[in-house]
Amino acid sequence: MTTHRPETDLALAALVREAATAGTSLRIRGAGAWMDAGHPVAASATLDVTAFTGVTAYAPDDLTLSCGAATTLAELEAATRAHGQWCPLLPWGSDTGTVGATLATATTGPFGDRLGRPRQLVLGVRAVDGRGRIVEAGGRVVKNVAGFDLTRAITGSWGTLAVLTHVHLRLRARPTVDETWCVVGADEAALDAFVRGPLAPLGTVALSIEDAAALALPGPGCLLRLGGNAPFVAAARQVVRSLGDASAVDPAVWANVRVRCAPPSRATAWRWDALSLALRAQFDPAGILNPGLLGATR
Amino acid sequence: MTSLPVPPPAELAAALAQVVGPAQVLTRAPSLQVYRSDGLPGHRALPSLAVFPGTRDEVVGVLRVLATHGAPFVARGAGTGLSGGALADGITLVGLHRLKRILAIDPVARTATVEPGVVNATLTRAVAAHGLHYAPDPSSQAACTIGGNIAENAGGPHCLKYGVTLDHVLRATVALPSGEVVTLDRGDAGGYDLLGAFVGSEGCFGVALDVTVRLTPDPEGVVTLLADFTNLRAAAEATSRIIAAGIVPAALELMDQGTIAAVESSVYAAGYPRDAAAVLLAEVDGALAGLDADAEAIAAHCRAAGARDVRVAREATDRARLWQGRKKAFGAMGRVAPHLVVQDAVVPRTRLADVLETIQAIGTRYGIAVCNVFHAGDGNLHPNIPYDADDAEASARVHAAMTEIMTACIDAGGSITGEHGVGLDKLGYMDALFTPETLDAMCSLRTVFDPDRRANPGKAVPVHACREWQAVPAARRAPR
Repeated sequence: MTTHRPETDLALAALVREAATAGTSLRIRGAGAWMDAGHPVAASATLDVTAFTGVTAYAPDDLTLSCGAATTLAELEAATRAHGQWCPLLPWGSDTGTVGATLATATTGPFGDRLGRPRQLVLGVRAVDGRGRIVEAGGRVVKNVAGFDLTRAITGSWGTLAVLTHVHLRLRARPTVDETWCVVGADEAALDAFVRGPLAPLGTVALSIEDAAALALPGPGCLLRLGGNAPFVAAARQVVRSLGDASAVDPAVWANVRVRCAPPSRATAWRWDALSLALRAQFDPAGILNPGLLGATR
Repeated sequence: MTSLPVPPPAELAAALAQVVGPAQVLTRAPSLQVYRSDGLPGHRALPSLAVFPGTRDEVVGVLRVLATHGAPFVARGAGTGLSGGALADGITLVGLHRLKRILAIDPVARTATVEPGVVNATLTRAVAAHGLHYAPDPSSQAACTIGGNIAENAGGPHCLKYGVTLDHVLRATVALPSGEVVTLDRGDAGGYDLLGAFVGSEGCFGVALDVTVRLTPDPEGVVTLLADFTNLRAAAEATSRIIAAGIVPAALELMDQGTIAAVESSVYAAGYPRDAAAVLLAEVDGALAGLDADAEAIAAHCRAAGARDVRVAREATDRARLWQGRKKAFGAMGRVAPHLVVQDAVVPRTRLADVLETIQAIGTRYGIAVCNVFHAGDGNLHPNIPYDADDAEASARVHAAMTEIMTACIDAGGSITGEHGVGLDKLGYMDALFTPETLDAMCSLRTVFDPDRRANPGKAVPVHACREWQAVPAARRAPR
């Protein structure tokens, strides 16, 4: 199968326009970590977007960062860690995956509820839609309601509306104290009250016997991440210790947890209602971007 | 200007009266005067008629009649918007204030389902007994409606920590301009983020019939701080330091000298130091553990940036007093001049100090007073100009100054609106902010929901940016 690897937005736009005219369908590929959405894709060519990579703007004091869509999560992590910050996308899956794929699939992770889901952490995107239009949606500021929200429409569209090339992200400061605890035999009601209460952890994951063994954790039980300033975490830690048999573990375990405990793809249950079909028809009328990825459209 | 073959209002009014009853249709100019503007002076227009459905079925019925007649319309809540977005210029106005029922409250799931005409603060009062509140808190929260908040993706001081309206809306039942009823969500179960596209669409995509929102637990503790500064730049720098340090205050608001003077001379006097060049109002909330540490860190950053004094309020009454000046600042400016432009723009937070100085210089050059009172933590500026909108010369100067201020914000890498929307007022800046292809894509997004472009025509995105619209025969285009 032919592979195209455009290096600029203009070249990508020209390629898409040509493909739309010729009816050549394109399978978008970054790091190749997120290819399976549960449906076969019958595309005539591969669109390799790995040329769009690297951090292009980073203002630590603004807590914002811009980067190419094919920048890997590991690269994003390394760039921000140096300033005591992170972009807490921390999605299910491996850090070899790209920022673009995380946004394209709107994949969240164990900390999404507390630290922000992809649709909350993305401030703007540059993308080439199925008509070959270069769309620069949103912006680099943290609050913005100018015009209709193309950023929200494109994020989580699995590349069926537009090909992401560049993204603007919101960052957060890493918590001053960041601890991970594994609790065995926790009382369900007490755990629930803790998770819903004012000292709530950044995230929690249930561990099966197999998970605990594979991750070399004391479990089965639950894994909790506490983050905040010192007095906050001290108070939360006290509650955690009262929940059950609690032991502190290396926070590095989360990278493996995100791979192992990932829920199944949501794309298999894609809802193709009339509005969704109209949306696709407006942005990719020839149906050339990732055709079939989200199941049959009619 | 060519326009749709709008049916004579009498015929349309009769058809609408069949749906809602004759008492809920207004057609005479004197009774329509109430709807000639929203919260922003300078834009005035009369609807040709106004209709007030009282139930969701009536809303759908009204939209079907409008669709049958090919009639453009504007949905309106409380009319507190600040971009001219709720103005209906010679077309039908659909008032939604009668749809004000709270349909369900689920304290366990922490959600509420409400009709669009429910007032923002009313919802918070209704759930207070459960220890919950609705977090987005625009300054107009005592009057503005949830439907209007959704149309504008409204913000407010506490959105710094808790997020804007979109972050608190889970689901909406929406009547499309065709009258078809659809349910929109964020697509978390496998679907496009159609709700994300709808929220903030300024009434151009349809009318919400009911909305399910997230409720937020009341914090265990709250500390409010007031830091005063002898120069504006130092206050802006304190803001940058606090944000850069990674503290997430619940709110971080800046008020400049002009605002302080207006507030302290009014019945809303909050005890702000009259000789300060600026004050920062900061609030931290959440678990009691760690709260004082954050408050102390904020105080330390303010002092390091040059704050003369930092006051700390823990008691509810003391905190309320500090907030009163901020929440009522716009009202207090009513003493200064008959009209007030409440402007809205965003800049990167590291550029606040520079942009504020630029704004002051622009104001001085045009001989107008600019009072800044804004969400500093988000970089969301509100340069406000008290003036007399009936004075043509003064209005022209205000307009020219505003254009320069918007340009300065765009040049700083910012945006022309953070929470008020584009409406009519900001249309002229859209070309400076977005490329033609991006604006064209926005038009495509609108077409998904409103292919006939009858919902709030001529707002939010300039019509000339829509390539396909240009191809449509002029007779099918909705009038401005």
